[in-house]
Amino acid sequence: MTGADKSSDLLKELERLLDSDPLMDEVGFIHPSQLAELCKEAGSTSRDGLMGSAQTEANTFDLVFWSREHKLGISTTALLPLYKAAKHAFMEAIRQYQTLTDLQRERDDSKDDNASTFTSSSISILETDVMKHSRALLLLSCDFGTAWNCRKLVVSKLELLHTYMDELNLSSLVLSYAPKSERAWNHRRWVIKMIAGKCPNLQEIIERESEFVEKLAERSKMNYRAWNHRCWLVSYMSGEQVLHELNKSRDWAGLHVADNSCFHYRTRLLLKILEGYDDQNSAAPSATNFHELWKKELDWVATLIKCYVGREALWLYRRFLSLTWIKHFTTQVHSNSFGSCPKNIMNVEVFMSNELQLCHYCSSIPDNDFEDYQAQATFSATYIMWITRQVGGSLQVELRKKLEANGLKTLVNNVCPEKSFLWNTFSESI
Amino acid sequence: MNMLDYSRMGELAVEKHVKFILTIEKEKDSFESVVMEHIRLNGAYWALTTLDILGKLNTVDQDEVVSWMMQCQHESGGFGGNIGHDPHLLYTLSAIQVLALFDKIDALDIDKVSNYIAGLQNNDGSFSGDMWGEIDTRFSCVAILSLALLKRLDKINVEKAVNYIVSCKNLDGGFGCTPGAESHAGQIFCCVAALAVTGSLHHVDKDLLGWWLCERQVKSGGLNGRPEKLPDVCYSWWVLSSLIMIDRVHWIDKEKLIKFILDCQDKENGGISDQPEDAVDVFHTYFGVAGLSLLEYPGLKAIDPAYALPVDVVNRIFFGR
Repeated sequence: MTGADKSSDLLKELERLLDSDPLMDEVGFIHPSQLAELCKEAGSTSRDGLMGSAQTEANTFDLVFWSREHKLGISTTALLPLYKAAKHAFMEAIRQYQTLTDLQRERDDSKDDNASTFTSSSISILETDVMKHSRALLLLSCDFGTAWNCRKLVVSKLELLHTYMDELNLSSLVLSYAPKSERAWNHRRWVIKMIAGKCPNLQEIIERESEFVEKLAERSKMNYRAWNHRCWLVSYMSGEQVLHELNKSRDWAGLHVADNSCFHYRTRLLLKILEGYDDQNSAAPSATNFHELWKKELDWVATLIKCYVGREALWLYRRFLSLTWIKHFTTQVHSNSFGSCPKNIMNVEVFMSNELQLCHYCSSIPDNDFEDYQAQATFSATYIMWITRQVGGSLQVELRKKLEANGLKTLVNNVCPEKSFLWNTFSESI
Repeated sequence: MNMLDYSRMGELAVEKHVKFILTIEKEKDSFESVVMEHIRLNGAYWALTTLDILGKLNTVDQDEVVSWMMQCQHESGGFGGNIGHDPHLLYTLSAIQVLALFDKIDALDIDKVSNYIAGLQNNDGSFSGDMWGEIDTRFSCVAILSLALLKRLDKINVEKAVNYIVSCKNLDGGFGCTPGAESHAGQIFCCVAALAVTGSLHHVDKDLLGWWLCERQVKSGGLNGRPEKLPDVCYSWWVLSSLIMIDRVHWIDKEKLIKFILDCQDKENGGISDQPEDAVDVFHTYFGVAGLSLLEYPGLKAIDPAYALPVDVVNRIFFGR
């Protein structure tokens, strides 16, 4: 057998494995020694899950693939020949497919019915080839855009809901080995945009997508693309769903306090709820409830800040919460939309002096060698400076005086002298 | 005036990096290199711009590069990442940038390319990356930079494009890829560069954005792209260029950053990695060298923070010199 023959056999085997298990949910590239271990383990219990080894083609696929319980392992030694074969097969398939679709278009124009039927059946065979080879290729090269595009072309011609769902599954499978693959995430959004308005259970799909991101984020930390996808989903959520997501993601965030993206997701959800007021959305909570919800979030983050010392993401999230609180519950206190707010709404100075207290609490450094406490002190000092700057106007001037009287400047100079220039970013224009 | 004492920070292994770039171009038979072949045009831009900043652009055969690159162009006017690959804005900008380096923009059918780009603008002012409709402020940036280099910005609705970018601004002063998306240093560069090129930087609260950007510098001196992330050489470009465009670069410790970048060099075989001791690649080599150029490291050509091309190339295009 020549090298090319061997690699096209490898490709056939990979495609057979993928066809034989539509529920395949994880792919990984495995070092040959590790693969041998896995095969040995599998061999001692049952040989059913062992694919390709010593069955029909002795030694050909031995120690190349391993598949069990919807997981597929591919030996790293086979990646290059497999990729070459998959790319060649895919490129050949799209070349033929394009030639034939061009031909069909010409014949459609000339209205030759018999010829059209003949080409349609060939086209559908080629469509199957394109789908089969692009799938194999994407499992080897996750961002091969042309392969994703061809799938979009074929799927959008078929217009079948289940084929769209298959695309979400393929994207999941690719993300199982390449969780940051930009093209795989794009493909999901393309699918959702295509089925939105056409499928009755879109809300359910959106919910499943959100759960998918959460699960993936567990093993792929601080994954921007994953969380960006979840943020993008928010625009498809109902008011009720947004509240549900806010509740559901709290525990996860509490366990991943260094993941800025999950706190940004909460930011996105809270801003969406805030938007609801402007739209007079009936599903939005009442002003009182909203006030309580925000207060609860502030309290929760304060607890996390005290519990997990020196976590930047928590302090940045607090910047957002406090600034929005000040803007909505103090300056707008007389506006009609919050007419039903509790009467004891905090005035901004009381709020800020509470914040300052938190910062003083967080800026005491028990042991100078302990880096986390040093970080905590810096984050607390820059937090309060940031809020003061963002409040703006005459309030800023007042707050700044008060902060200085309370020794904030000394604090900044002590814990993070390199940040003291940030004082200069406010007040000068006033 | 530049007051930094560069000799204390280590030395840039110029010759080794040039050699590294010229060898990776030839290496095409490992899995690691073939899985990158779909973005080869981006790779060409990174490699060639690095060579130009290092003053070694003459080591490559320009005609060979241009003739390969023109085969990546489609009937639509857009460029694919390699021969036979679908067109996308990301590769189209790289093609224009590479031609700009060679002073060969004339090799293009400028109307055809700019029509392709303009055709990807959506009603809300945003840009799709290609005909399949994914929207991202990166694509806004790429479209605007491309059209500016081709002097065809009049083909799009600039005001709407700017408004879309502004709608992606967050309360922390940063920008994300779509409205409501998390701030990310790479996206911030894209948005700031697009605003700078269209004369719209007044939409940016410079102190607020500068605050967020300067908080990206970590203890080691390196810059990260988002809070709580590890520093990475590529952010020496994204963060630094943004800080320069909004005139807040004095808010970070330049000396420590230079040292961090130099620590990421493979001094034996050339190339720069994301972090010290990691494996090198052309992407990080480009961003490391470009970052050092922004930091006015001696012996390097100056690079333009918005167009990401050497300043002399940009001047040649806009001032004909």
